[in-house]
Amino acid sequence: MRRPLRHLAGLALLSLTLAGCGASSDHALNLTLAALATPPAKAPASPTAQDVKCTNVKASLRPPATLPAPNRMPPGSFMAKIQKQGYLVAGVNSGAYKFGALNPATGNIEGFEIDLVNEVAKAIFGTAEGHVRLVALTVPQRFTAVEQGKVDIVVDLITITCYRRTLVDFSTVYYDAEQRLLVPVHSGVDNIAALAHKRVCATAGSAPIDVMDAMAPADRPVPVGLPQAIDCLVAFQQGQIAGISTDSSILLGFTAQDPNTKIVGPSIRDVPYGMAISKAHPDFVRFVNGVLAQLKRDGTWQRLYANRLGAFTSGPTPAPPQPQYDG
Amino acid sequence: MWLADEDVTLAGLGTGVAPARTRRRRGAGAGAALAWVRDRLATTPGRLVLVSILVVVGAVVFGAIATGAEQSRERAAKAARSQTEPLLVHAKNLYTSLSDANATVATGLLSGGSEPATSRQRYERDLVRASGALSALTREARPGATATAALGTIADRLPTYSGLVETARANNRLGFPIGAAYLRDAASLMTSTILPAADHLYRTEAERLNDDYQTGSATSTLVTFAAASAIALLLLVLAQWYVARISRRILNVPMVVATVMVAAVSVWGIVGLVSEQNALGSAQRVGSDPVEALSAATVLLSRAQGDLSLALVSRGTDTTDPLDFDMVSRVLGRPGGVIAEISVLARRTRTGAAAGRVDADFAAYQAKARQITDLEDTGQTKSAIAGVQQASAISEQLSQNLGGQITAAQGRFTRSAADATSALAGLGLAIPLVTVLAAALVLVGLRQRINEYR
Repeated sequence: MRRPLRHLAGLALLSLTLAGCGASSDHALNLTLAALATPPAKAPASPTAQDVKCTNVKASLRPPATLPAPNRMPPGSFMAKIQKQGYLVAGVNSGAYKFGALNPATGNIEGFEIDLVNEVAKAIFGTAEGHVRLVALTVPQRFTAVEQGKVDIVVDLITITCYRRTLVDFSTVYYDAEQRLLVPVHSGVDNIAALAHKRVCATAGSAPIDVMDAMAPADRPVPVGLPQAIDCLVAFQQGQIAGISTDSSILLGFTAQDPNTKIVGPSIRDVPYGMAISKAHPDFVRFVNGVLAQLKRDGTWQRLYANRLGAFTSGPTPAPPQPQYDG
Repeated sequence: MWLADEDVTLAGLGTGVAPARTRRRRGAGAGAALAWVRDRLATTPGRLVLVSILVVVGAVVFGAIATGAEQSRERAAKAARSQTEPLLVHAKNLYTSLSDANATVATGLLSGGSEPATSRQRYERDLVRASGALSALTREARPGATATAALGTIADRLPTYSGLVETARANNRLGFPIGAAYLRDAASLMTSTILPAADHLYRTEAERLNDDYQTGSATSTLVTFAAASAIALLLLVLAQWYVARISRRILNVPMVVATVMVAAVSVWGIVGLVSEQNALGSAQRVGSDPVEALSAATVLLSRAQGDLSLALVSRGTDTTDPLDFDMVSRVLGRPGGVIAEISVLARRTRTGAAAGRVDADFAAYQAKARQITDLEDTGQTKSAIAGVQQASAISEQLSQNLGGQITAAQGRFTRSAADATSALAGLGLAIPLVTVLAAALVLVGLRQRINEYR
């Protein structure tokens, strides 16, 4: 009577032990599923602009009477440092067609702004060939890259504002854009007021959105903010919006990419572009202003404009923006 | 008058009395049964009748419990082998090929207006493989609202995705930056809508397979089976001991045969269940565990490569992809991460060499990614683009290595899962058959003894 019981207990124990060997483990499953569940990264928040007043937003430092000859930068100057370094590092845009855009065929960033960067390099080295490094910067990176010295200069469709002048120094205005409206070529719309209560796109959180928000209720379009201006053109081609209202420079690039669009209406807002340079290098600001003045004087600016943008603008090449100095 | 009174009384009582009567009758039934048992207990043949009833009931209960236990294991092992794992493979194929398509097209567009033919072919192969997996899943997936919704999402959005990709290509060929915007749009549709649906399908099947493993190797099933066997054997032995005591015959041949049969089927069952769960355990440990880790690595690697390319395609506008790349690299490469898990699992399968190559290639990939970032930061765009092509080559080599290992692991799964189901072959029939036979033999054996008293 006791023996079979003991055997049975032994059998039960044996089966429990054997069962232990085969028990399943979900360690690998949990580890891999958790890894696959890694959420997509979120865009870092960009700093918000502050309301700052200044007397003349377009004014910059006066250039020297004569520019130093190429490869003979004044000792101790920032230009001398760049000359010694062997190349100029410029922060640029890589998605603004005709201003600064990556050419997929060549892998180079090309455009009007890049031409200007090359002219600055040419003034330092005698030739831009092999002396320019272009770094595509994101919007939040533009000012920190200058402040931290990662780039020597930023030429990236930056609108000069009083607030931004507290972060970096700006050159004189190298291109005077204006906020305008892009509509389908056969739409018959010639004014933003004609798009009242219709969806009009611009970069989310940008000044053009604020301008639309501030319009009289009867004329006000419905502003649609997308992460980047080019996303507006995608939405436009997909028929999701009636128009795009942003910088004329960007709109010019859009008409060049899509012949079914046109820029209409008067200027809604003045948008002066300046080159951003660290506040630590006023000598470089003066030098760049000297180069810009030279380019505007000798017709190089006009030639570059006609070369890059002439085909997409009607009428003659406009006069370059007049430099304004305050110190 | 008194008659009428009596009638009234009876009628008045009538309704109240009836249930009481039934109760009494039922009580009488139980009482009668007890009395019947008491009567049987009083005589030896009666006691033998009781014993035969007890043993037969015991045998039937054993048969039912043992069959139930065996069936639950067998169903789980069969489901794992021929239903869940094949579906998991389809879901894995869908997931990896969609991820790969997304990375491939981004890297392809980076190489300029004329996308290399190999890149285009790889993208198309990926889409074909994804559609194949999608229709297989639609055909075979077990019904479930969320799975149906996920399949619907992929089927609905995939044409939109490929439309956006073609628009991106056309614009890219023209040298328009809007091509990059369309590509970003496509990639965001893929990563925010299509891939989460694929992830859901994959996750569902992986968890189902895990459930199959748990059911198929549940200790409780084995214990239940062993306990039922033990009790059935104990009953048989006790019955024979009793019979031997009251009669002079020590051996009751039919009952001995019944006992031997039950003992044999019990041992067979326990051996079968143990080897089934061992085989299923090894199907998991050397089969599907590596498949899952390798698949996760493939998907995450595609995601990293997509991030790397997209960041360069839309340089200067893209703030999230470099961050996502860093995050995915960490998940893959950190201690205890997916790559480390592959090495751990490789020790089980003795495929250390292949896992070592994954390790080395991933280290090379990360070094290349760091180099690309440095090149980008210093404005050496062309070299950075060339770097991404090199990174893509490393990534492709890695994913081929991973793919080869996945195939090998699937082979190991199939073999072990086949072992698991064959370990139980015949048991499902043998247990009820033996139960019935044993019960019949017990009845025959005890009938001989009972008849001796007539």
